[in-house]
This record gives sequence, structure tokens and C-alpha cells, in this order.
Amino acid sequence: MSLRQLKEFCIPGDWAEVDAQLGRYGARAFVLAGGSFVHGLDARGLLHEVEALIDIRNLGLDYIRAESGGLRIGATTTFAHLQAAPTLGESPWLGALADALACPPRQIRNVATVGGSVAASCPYFDPPTALMALDARVAVVAGGARREFPLGELFAGTFENSLRRGEIIVELFLPRPTGRSASAFLKLEGNANDLAIVNCAASLEIDAQGRCSEARIALGGGVGDAIARATSAERLLQGRVADDEVLWSAAEAVGEDIDPHTDHRASAAYRLAVAKVLTRRALTCALARSARTPT
Amino acid sequence: MNDYSVIGRSIPRPDAWEKVVGGRGYPVNLRLPGMLHGTLLRSPHPHARIAGMDASRALALPGVKALITPADVPRIPYSATFFKPATSAAVVRDMLILDGTVRYAGQPVAAVAATTASIAEHALELIEVQYEELPAVFDPEEAMREGAPEIHAGVRHNVIGRPTYSLGDIEAGFSAADHVFEGVYETQRVHTCYMEPRVCVADADAQGRVTVYASVQHLFGLREKLAFVLGLPVSSVRAVQPPYIGGGFGGKLDLAPIEPLAALLSLRARRPVRIEQSRYEDFITSSRHPAKVYLKTGISRDGQFTARYARTLLDASAYASEAPEVIRVHSRFGLMLGYRCPNAKWEGTLVYTNNMPGGAFRGYGAPQGCFAVESQIDEICEKLGFDPVEFRLKHAPRCGDPHPSNAAWKLDSYGFDECLVRGAERFGWRSRAKAASGRGVKKRGFGMAAQPLWVSGCLGAPDTYEHSGAIVKLNTDGSADLATATIDIGSGQTAVLCQIAAEELGISVEAVRLSGGSTDTLPVDAATHASRTTYASGIAVKAAAAAAKKRLLEVAETMLEASAVDLEVREGMVRVKGASAHAVPVADVVKRAESPFVQITSKGTMQTVLAEKGTIIGTSSLAPPRNPSPASAQFIEVEVDTDTGEVRVLRAVYAHDIGRVVNLAGAEGQVEGGLQQGIGYALMENMRFEPETGACVTADFLNYKMPTAVEMPRSIESIFVETDEPSGPFGAKGLAEPCLIVPAPAIANAIYNAVGVRVRSLPITPEKILAGLGKI
Ligand SMILES: Cc1cc2nc3c(=O)[nH]c(=O)nc-3n(C[C@H](O)[C@H](O)[C@H](O)COP(=O)(O)OP(=O)(O)OC[C@H]3O[C@@H](n4cnc5c(N)ncnc54)[C@H](O)[C@@H]3O)c2cc1C
Repeated sequence: MSLRQLKEFCIPGDWAEVDAQLGRYGARAFVLAGGSFVHGLDARGLLHEVEALIDIRNLGLDYIRAESGGLRIGATTTFAHLQAAPTLGESPWLGALADALACPPRQIRNVATVGGSVAASCPYFDPPTALMALDARVAVVAGGARREFPLGELFAGTFENSLRRGEIIVELFLPRPTGRSASAFLKLEGNANDLAIVNCAASLEIDAQGRCSEARIALGGGVGDAIARATSAERLLQGRVADDEVLWSAAEAVGEDIDPHTDHRASAAYRLAVAKVLTRRALTCALARSARTPT
Repeated sequence: MNDYSVIGRSIPRPDAWEKVVGGRGYPVNLRLPGMLHGTLLRSPHPHARIAGMDASRALALPGVKALITPADVPRIPYSATFFKPATSAAVVRDMLILDGTVRYAGQPVAAVAATTASIAEHALELIEVQYEELPAVFDPEEAMREGAPEIHAGVRHNVIGRPTYSLGDIEAGFSAADHVFEGVYETQRVHTCYMEPRVCVADADAQGRVTVYASVQHLFGLREKLAFVLGLPVSSVRAVQPPYIGGGFGGKLDLAPIEPLAALLSLRARRPVRIEQSRYEDFITSSRHPAKVYLKTGISRDGQFTARYARTLLDASAYASEAPEVIRVHSRFGLMLGYRCPNAKWEGTLVYTNNMPGGAFRGYGAPQGCFAVESQIDEICEKLGFDPVEFRLKHAPRCGDPHPSNAAWKLDSYGFDECLVRGAERFGWRSRAKAASGRGVKKRGFGMAAQPLWVSGCLGAPDTYEHSGAIVKLNTDGSADLATATIDIGSGQTAVLCQIAAEELGISVEAVRLSGGSTDTLPVDAATHASRTTYASGIAVKAAAAAAKKRLLEVAETMLEASAVDLEVREGMVRVKGASAHAVPVADVVKRAESPFVQITSKGTMQTVLAEKGTIIGTSSLAPPRNPSPASAQFIEVEVDTDTGEVRVLRAVYAHDIGRVVNLAGAEGQVEGGLQQGIGYALMENMRFEPETGACVTADFLNYKMPTAVEMPRSIESIFVETDEPSGPFGAKGLAEPCLIVPAPAIANAIYNAVGVRVRSLPITPEKILAGLGKI
């Protein structure tokens, strides 16, 4: 039975109220953003103890700020809101995020938040994979204190994040690459309403000589407990001109970086094979986008 | 076009608007005053004996009003199948409402009714069950081995039956063959995925009579089975007809445990009890049986079939239920009868396993056979260089031939050849080879498959109900009420039956309304299944309308000063044939029949006579005279990604001979819906289970994949070959099932054409394609 212990549903308008509620309910408080994953957690029996739902959508965390150093996205910004931001369509370096946000069904995009998407620590979600390839940083607040860390450190395991008791994600920050840069994201799914069997995001920075000065590749789906960075593949691209041969060998190398598993949706062997294909295709797409980018 | 005024037109469904705004007629939306909520406790084990059960804490929970354990149910073994007599020797009566032995994971072991659903759910947690676990077996081949767990006492090797079929001399046939083709074709377990969950409300009165409202496909089957399992006379059960239910596809063709359990809970609590299944419960209630078909075919040099041998292993699941009938239909209509072959033999094996129940599903055993037959024909044509369309034409029955399943009938209307020819032409089948090439990683492919023979009902099937009835009553405003026990399961039965009544009555279709009723008031009817409603119910509706019209014309005799035989009804007017000016509105005739003897009007008094008096009503209750065959041929274009193995269906041309089309938009909807289910069967749908516990891991729509709008082809063209079935209502025959039978082999053949990979097991996942390409 869902939320049988539920005593309170609150929508705090300021942080003092948040802290008071978190103080009162401690581990039995549940932070609610878009709410689109509540039934998913409930179905896995993870909400039996919850006594209070604290809806954080009234705290002014719904914003998108393009700054010279990068992009700041408030935690409760919905996918749909972010998709509509002009900067997303205009910036090839954010291509992977735009691709990933388009994956969930429209109804979900209208409610799901960027903060909720990463906090859920579900390696099968799409935006987190894109955000990993964009080198995102997470800002969290607890009791007025704020700290920041790389997104990768948020994921402790499937459905398990590394937030400390009472910490709430307030913002994601995407550093703007310096050179010519573009990114792309691809997802392999069973039907249009599916979580990823495998997904992949690739982000490239190309220098004046046409070499990859920076390459970041992230893979999700059933390729590990958390979203994986394909560092072996990235190394093969570093400082090289990304011709076909380099792309193929980089894609082959993701085998070193992921640990695909077998479940009823796909075998490990299949996941490995398509992880390579998606990597190659995402790199190719990012490269093509970068070629259209003014330096 | 035809001469009819209503038949053949696209009629919007009368219930469409109501459904879009929430569908208050769905049984799931029914609430009765004082109603309790029931839930079932289900076993986590696939095979166990219940050694003990303590429900005292649950019963003590405030709000709990009744509780049923295996000790509380009548020990009457039954088969859940609605459409066969409860005591038929053709059914296997191996179920109890609650059994002391559990044979599949999720089998109900107790039921609770409480004032709220959450109290009932809480009560389940307080029931203590001691299970004595038994070894379980999930693979039918293993289940037949010596030493396998015995699932039903006394059933040796878990084999329920070994039915056979034979024709001619199989040995001689193979000796005469120049080529022999063999293959094993496997199909998976799939669920119907109706939208409305199975739900029922049972309401026992003080005399112990039970009224039941349920989302099922057979009103009289529900009454008969429920009365039987409860040990009550049929008249003690009243099944109320809902205006429509939210889908069925065969998944609501048998008694689910919720119906008798709701009845027993209501009999105890003396209050209405509602039980609604969760999606998980729906998934484990019914499914299409997985099958393994071995098919061997002998061919002469000139491309004639000389012999066909097949063997089918059907996983009958934990309870036999529909399996004996499914395998019979499978052997005839799925495997053996479609194409002409002088020598044929088939051997079937039905095996118990500890898997969830199988049941009925649109196509009923035929998809498992059609996949084998139509895939193998493609292999034969490829190897021997025959054109797949020509090859099928060569072996197809012809119009006027004896009916392959019953020599007493002929194929009076039959347009299979035209389906093949017109479909091929529209698709551009001849020019396919050129288009099939493709450079990049994505390859195009073209394939086809067909279903030469099918049914329009169950006439001829052993021990299966096949009859319908209808009541047509005319109103003083010129409208008609049509009542039949046919259940509209979402495929537009209501619209089609209203059209048939309107055409016969000579009034507009808007003037006909389907009214409800119950087993107390309606003539007996068979289930909504077997592609039968338009044909078989249609015949009954037409007969009832004709009876009402006959009475209408008799009453009009004095008004029009003409004999009834010289009268006709057109556009709502009764008129003298050939003299359209000499006419009165239907409404006036009905008013006259229902009016007082002496009427006082502004023009003075008017009088009617005794012979004109009474409601204008017509009834029918009859069996259809035949079981005519629809036919279908499908042409498919796919695109295969040779790096990921993903398949997209790009285009479908689907030709059906369904006799006269009654509702064009409805028929097209059937075809498109069938294609959607067929694509699911071909490419993705698959029920999967935990190997150790047998627990279903695909019991929701995240894990069970079916095609969404995005996976549907952008182009679906329906061709209707309008043969005129002499026994059908205005020439109509059945349609529903071939739509789903044919897509899987058509898609498999198109995939082969695209990438040269022959996959003989469904679903054809991207993974199987990559394996076939040697990439994993
Ligand atoms: C039908 C369906 C289809 C879907 N398809 C896709 C898809 O194709 N691709 C995809 O990527 N995803 C998909 N999803 C998942 C969806 O993206 C997630 O549910 C969503 O991102 C979660 O965000 P939310 O704001 O709704 O979070 P919530 O459901 O509100 O919360 C999710 C979790 O995060 C925690 N949380 C939320 N915000 C914060 C915060 N600021 N600080 C700390 N903790 C927080 C909550 O406590 C909870 O544990 C789908 C979901 C559904 C229901």
C-alpha cells in the first residue's frame, strides 16, 4: 500500500519552513519535485516509511540563467521549460541535453524536473547521461549551507544518491566549453515509452587544428549501477583528429568502461554491442554539429 | 457502393463521446450504495500445498466484513471457459475457486471484503499462510520428463492430451516429394492488454440471489459458469449487461477468480462487493499459450504440396482452461486447412506447467500456426524460386469449393485470391526486388503472409455455444430500441448491429439505440469472440428487425389502405411500393398501435381496431446457418538497422475478404488495431518470468512492451474485397481475428528479405537479428 504512513503534505514557501519540516520528520520526510517518479519508487517498496511529502516547487528554483561561464539550471525547472529555453536550441554544446530532454513522453516532460531527474539516481534516465557528458556540477543546500560537487559524485548506486540527510539539490551548473564544441545524445529503447536499454551522450571540443581537445562520453541504461563515463574511449580521442578510424576505435574502447548486465529486456552482449554503436553514432553526430559551429 | 442506405457507410460509434469523457458505462465505473471492496491474497510460490492458514487477525480488523479461504468455497471442479457447457466432456475441470494447492505464482489463496480498499489490503497482510513448497516446472518439455513434478494428481507426465488430425497418406506424400522443408517455429506468451481491468461487482440479495456486473465478453457464459461453481441454479444468478466494456481480445472469455470470490464475499456480507484487478493481476490472469511447432512439408518439382506434417507442443499452463480448444483451432485453422494438400498429419501435445494461465486471445491458436506455415512458405519460395503470391494462389481454395473444415458446406463467398492479387498490386509487390536494395546500415525489406481460412463464429466447433437473439422494439417517435446480450468489447459491435437493424427497418441509424438488459430479460447469446458478432449476432438482429417490420406493415395496412405485402419502409416512412407519395411516418404507425381504442382529436373521435393494438416488437433467437470463411493477405515493408537490430515497420497493405463491409471506419479500425497487436507479437511483446520463482517480471507497461503510436507504420492501407456472403446479414462475414494472425509472419518474411536473417522464434528482437547477422 502506498504512503500508508503519510501524515503531512506541505508546500513550503521559504527555507525556514523547509528546515522545520525536515527537522521534524528527518528520514521520514520525502522531497517531492515533479512527482513523476513517486509511483516508481512506491512500486519498489521504497516509500513505506514516508510520513511527510515536502513539495519544493515553491522555493524559486525554477530558472535558467545563461552566464558567460556556463548555464545555471534551477533544480525544479521542468524538462518542458528547459526545452523551450532559447539557449538550448542555439547552443550546439548543449545538443546532448536537448536530445535527451526530448525522450520522455510529453506528459512527463511537463512535470519532471531536472533536479528530480538526477536525484532519483536512476541509471536508466536520459537527461542525467547528457548532463554527465556536459560535465555538470550539482549545488545542494542544507540548513542554509551550500556545497557543490561534480554530478558523478551524486550517484551512489541505482536509486541511491549520496545526499546527506536534509540536503536538497538547488541547482545544476554546466560549464561552457571554451573552444568549438558540440554534443549529442542517443537512446536505444523498446518502444517510445521506455527507459533506456542503453543510452549514450558524447561531447567534443575541437581545437583550431581540428583535433579533439576534450572529449567526454557517458553511457547509461543497463551498463552499470550508475551512469558510466567512458574514460578509455575519451583518452583515445584526446588530441587526435576524429576521423572514422579514431571514432571506431574509441567506440570499441567503451567495452573497457562499462559493465553491462543481462535482464529480461536485453542481454549483456547485446548491450555491449549497441553501446559501441551508440557511442560511434553520438560521436559522429557531435562532430557534425561541431563542424557547423562558428569558432 | 451498394444499394443500401446504411450498410457500408462509416458510422461514428454511438458510445464514442461518452467513452472519451470517462465512459461511465464501463463496469469499472460502477458503484453501488453500501458497496464493499474486495482484494485477493496471492501466493508467492509457483507450486505449493497450503498446510495451514490463520485469518483470525484479518477478520478482527475493524472494517473487514467477510473473508474467504480455500475451506470456504464449494468443492466443485470447473473449467473457466465461458463458451462451452460447464459439464461438457470436452473441457477439463481442474480448477476450484480457491484451491489448497497452488500451481502458479500469483494464484489466489484467500479473499477479503472490507469497507475500504485499503483496509482490505491491510487485512491481507494479517493472514498467515503456511506453504509447503513443492518443486515447480516451467518448461513443457521438462514437465513431460520422467520424475518431473506432478502438477495435477494422476496426470501422467503432465500430459493433458495428445490430439491428432490426419488426411490422406502422409508416408506416400513424403515419398512423392522432390523437396522436403523442415523447421521449428516458436511463439511466446503474450497478454491481451485490454484497457479496462477485469472488475466485477457482485450483489447478493436476502434470498441468496446474486446479481453480477462484470467486464467480461460473455453475459450468459458468466451466468452459467458462476452458477455452476457456486452450486446454484442458473436462475439464481443475474448477469447485467454493461453498455460496453473496455476491451477484451479474448482476455475476458473465461471466469476469473474475482467473479465467484466477489459473489461468495457478497453472500457472506449481504452487501455488494466490488473487486477490481490491478494491472499486475490482469497480466497474470490470462495469456496466449506459448507453442513450439515442428513443421515439415513435401513439395513436388512443379511446386505442389505433396505432404504436410506438423507437431505442436502447447504449454497449457497450470490449468487446462481453453487449451484443448485452442490447440484444436490451431491445428485446423492455424496449420492444416488453409492450403490444399492431399496428405496431412498433425500431432499435438498439451502439457501442464507451473506457468500462469493461458486463455483466449484474438486469433485463438492460429497465430502460433500461421507463423510456422507462412514463414515456411517463404522459405520454400526463396529456395525453389517461386513467387510467394503465385505460390499461395496455387494452393488456395477457390470460391465454390467444399468448405475445408466441413464438407457439408461450400465456400459460397470467398475472395482469398482477390485479396492476394489486389493487395500485391496496391503494394507494388512485383517491383519490390529493386527497392529491396539499400546501401547504408539500414536495409529495406518486403514481405507478405496470408490467412486463407478463418471463421465467422463457432458453428461446427464441437460443444461450443453458437446462437444469438435480439429484441427490436419500435417507439412512438419513430426510433427503435435494440436489445441483445452481445457484449460490445470495444470493437464497435453496437454501431454495426444498429446499422443492420436500421437497414432492415428502413429507418436512420441514429434512430436505433442499443438498450441494455440482463440474463433475466435477454435471449441467450454466445460470447463476443471468434469473429462472430457482425455475422452471427447480425443475423439475429436482422431477423428481429424483420419481425418488427412485419408487424409495422400489418398495422399500416388500414392507414395506407394497402396490403402489407405491398408496403415497404424507406427513410423512416412506410409507403406503398412504387408510390412514394402514398406514405406515413413510422412514428405514426407506432402511435396508432399504442394509442387508446378511441382517440379524441380536434377533428373528432378516431378509432383503432383490436388487430392493430400493441407494442411493435420483433424478437429472434436462432443459430446462424453457416460458418463462412473470411480471408486475408498482408504486405509489409520494414527497415532494419543492421547495427542495432532495430526494426521499423514502414508500410502495410492489408487486404481482407469480409463479405459486405457494414461499417467502413469500424472495419478499418479493426485492421489497424490488429496490426498493432500483430507488430507487438512479431517484434516486442513477451511475458517474462523469474526463472526460480515463476514470478512475472513484465506485469506493467514499463516492462511489457507493446507498440505505441510512434512504432506504428505511417501508412496502413486497408483493402476490403467485398464478396457477398449469401447467408450473412446483408452479405457480411467476420473480420476481427485475421487482422492479428497474419502480421507476425509477414514481418518475419520482410526482415528476411531485408537482411537475410530468418528468425523462427517470436518476438524477433533486435538482439536475435544482431545474432543472426553474426554481430553478437
Ligand atoms: C511514464 C513515464 C515515462 C518516463 N520516460 C522517461 C524517459 O523516456 N526518459 C527519462 O529520462 N525519464 C523518463 N521517466 C522518468 C522521469 O524522467 C523521472 O520520473 C523524473 O525525471 C523525475 O523527476 P521529478 O521532478 O518528477 O522527481 P520526483 O518524482 O518528484 O522525485 C524523484 C526523486 O528525486 C528526489 N528529489 C526530487 N527533487 C529533488 C531535489 N531537488 N533534491 C533532492 N532530492 C530530490 C525525490 O525525493 C525522489 O526520490 C519517465 C517516467 C514516467 C512515469
